[in-house]
Amino acid sequence: MENKAEHRLLNALEHIQQTQGAVSDEALKALAAEWGQPLYRLEGLRSFYPVFRETPGAPNRLQICRDGPCRLKGEAAVKALKDALGDRDDIEIEMVSCLGLCDCAPAAALNDSPGPLPDHADIDAWDIKDRHSISEHLPTDPYPDTAAHYSTAAQWLKRPAEEIIAEIDAAGLQGLGGAAFPTARKWQFTRAAQGEPRTVICNADESEPGTFKDRHLLEHAPHLVIEGILIGAAVIGARQGIIYLRHEYQRARAAITKALNKARADGVLGSDAIGPGHDFDIELFISPGGYILGEETALLEALEDRRGEPRHKPPFPTTAGLHGGPTLINNVETLAAVSTILARGASWWREQGIGEHAGLKYVSVSGDVKNPQVLCLPWGTTVAEAIEHCGGMADNRDLLAFSPGGASTPFLPASAAQTPMTFDDLRQAGSGLGTGALFVVGTGRNLAEVLLGQARFFRNESCGKCVPCRVGSNKGVELADAALNHQPNAIDAELAELHQTLMRTSICGLGQVALLPLVDGLKRFPDEPSLQPLRGQTPEAD
Amino acid sequence: MSDVSLTIDGVEVTVPEGTTIWEAAARYGIEIPVLCHDPRLEPVGVCRICAVDVGERTLPAACVRHVEAGMNVITANTEITAHRRILTELMLSDQPEQSRREATTGDDSLYALARELKVSDFPWPDAKSSSNPPRGQDDSSPVIAVDHQACILCDRCVRACDDIQHNDVITRTGKGHSVRIGFDLDVPMAESSCVSCGECVAVCPTGALTHQFLGETS
Ligand SMILES: Cc1cc2nc3c(=O)[nH]c(=O)nc-3n(C[C@H](O)[C@H](O)[C@H](O)COP(=O)(O)O)c2cc1C
Ligand code: SF4
Repeated sequence: MENKAEHRLLNALEHIQQTQGAVSDEALKALAAEWGQPLYRLEGLRSFYPVFRETPGAPNRLQICRDGPCRLKGEAAVKALKDALGDRDDIEIEMVSCLGLCDCAPAAALNDSPGPLPDHADIDAWDIKDRHSISEHLPTDPYPDTAAHYSTAAQWLKRPAEEIIAEIDAAGLQGLGGAAFPTARKWQFTRAAQGEPRTVICNADESEPGTFKDRHLLEHAPHLVIEGILIGAAVIGARQGIIYLRHEYQRARAAITKALNKARADGVLGSDAIGPGHDFDIELFISPGGYILGEETALLEALEDRRGEPRHKPPFPTTAGLHGGPTLINNVETLAAVSTILARGASWWREQGIGEHAGLKYVSVSGDVKNPQVLCLPWGTTVAEAIEHCGGMADNRDLLAFSPGGASTPFLPASAAQTPMTFDDLRQAGSGLGTGALFVVGTGRNLAEVLLGQARFFRNESCGKCVPCRVGSNKGVELADAALNHQPNAIDAELAELHQTLMRTSICGLGQVALLPLVDGLKRFPDEPSLQPLRGQTPEAD
Repeated sequence: MSDVSLTIDGVEVTVPEGTTIWEAAARYGIEIPVLCHDPRLEPVGVCRICAVDVGERTLPAACVRHVEAGMNVITANTEITAHRRILTELMLSDQPEQSRREATTGDDSLYALARELKVSDFPWPDAKSSSNPPRGQDDSSPVIAVDHQACILCDRCVRACDDIQHNDVITRTGKGHSVRIGFDLDVPMAESSCVSCGECVAVCPTGALTHQFLGETS
């Protein structure tokens, strides 16, 4: 049932990759003939999405995360493992972008099974510990047991859509995928937009280093996300829902599939899903890979069988999204929060926050804390409190700096640790809440390498469509890398100027922020020794 | 379709709804520089040279952005010129030592833009010092010379091959900073379904796609 959308070229390519271990030229020629498609189009797809490989490679593939928290904590372990496996030709090692497993940094995936990086002695018997094999009951899950699932939708779908929107508005919910757009307004716009087809999409592509809260929600409460989609569908009048899931989230995929099958069996999805005679079903689409697909219009391009390159906006998906129809795209946590808010009421939701802040927020905490994990915190909790909830700093380090909202949010110094984790407070402090991903860096770490690492991630994940991002992010990284690792060079002014061009002229949010953490860090940490080579100074030997 | 009135560089203009800013400006004699855009092709807005200020957080590409009633468009100021210069420098830094187009027909649009913007020094690491591998040449075709190093991924050849000639040969292959153009399943041009119509050479703004010099191929 999961892959009912065999009408998509990308599904066909995924099937070839799965069954043949690669997407060969021969397979593409056959596919081109079968689908009546020009060869160049299939080449464009195969070469864009990292899941598709031209040749099968070694029998075993070990993917190791090269980003953020994993790079910070794992460089020595990765090197040791690479050395130990150096002469084995049955294992191929591939350094990849963030796997969304920052809580077990350094993270890896052996033949697509994700987990902490194995020790080379254990690699043959690598048994990925099922970290959370028993489903946890989440604090925002209003249901005591599975029998009660979807009762919120059942009740609210009897009421006018305007009341649903008003309740979400009263709760003050803002999009939790990074952009903080007011959810009630997005639902209102999409409802008001004319045209067909109408679709609700759950953005579960979570791929930004340090961010893994959506994985947690999908593994433990997929029913809340499904319920949110169902309610959204009733409000905008959609007949189709899609969960766009990143390829690497295997456990989430199993949990969602199970929950969807149960919902279908129970009649929650199907012929009367959003009211008598109004059918609605949800497709689980597995992304063929790449961080850029989380950008909502790149995601739409993928769903329409093209290279996942962002569209120009306007028009926005709310008015012209999937196949040109009004499309409601929300983040996993946003949709789950809708279910909680409607189950408990907006006033309950508001009471959960601290002071004037409303609600509960899932925060991914990674880096130099004792127990990296996903926390469910009252809105308004400070950064210092979040660190305490994770057992404090690890390895007797003190706090050096932290990035509170994912790879695009600037690092703040330890002196800002009392800042509440809210959109407004963190913006005023010079950073942002972004996706709610707190990446903690302790003393003794090389901050310059951490900042450059964020720029590298964006450079590596650029789709390549527009000049500022494709060329500029690469030049920026090369310039900074040469200054840091070869010859000190005063390039802070050049980097700042380049960042201005990327920020103002790039098509999408990726290019706009690619150099932000690095450029901001150079200004914000004037005395940080590791950054001196970027100012042309040789760091003092200690 | 109704008409839309807006201001471009202080000039009141009225154009039909659905017109792009670039077209509207051109109609009133205001020239906005472009590289990836060719009026015969659907615009793609990827080189960002035609970025203009409409008072938003970012600068949209005039070639793709439609006019809106009451819009106040600025097509050139100190900031915009600075971005255009940097974008031009970025593209120039990876160019080969000499442009084949400049050497023969002398009409390389990227070099022309550089002269117009008075771009002289490139602070960015160039192709030679880069850690990225060179992007290579494809001399397989007796008619068309392909220099990937000179390609700025403007997408003109891709669109011309598809939309003007309906030959369906060229794609962008790869992703990010290693994107190139490719033929069919990324085979050498001579082995592809290319019929050597030359449309791609005609639309290419740089030295990436040029005619082979007589007797040049092996
Ligand atoms: C490069 C890039 C990557 C993104 N990745 C994600 C993602 O993985 N998940 C997500 O929900 N939103 C992501 N977004 C934001 C989406 O474009 C979109 O704003 C969001 O899904 C809207 O949902 P919300 O209103 O519920 O936050 C990304 C944006 C950009 C620019
Ligand atoms: S900014 Fe980067 S990721 Fe976004 S469209 Fe441009 S090249 Fe692609």
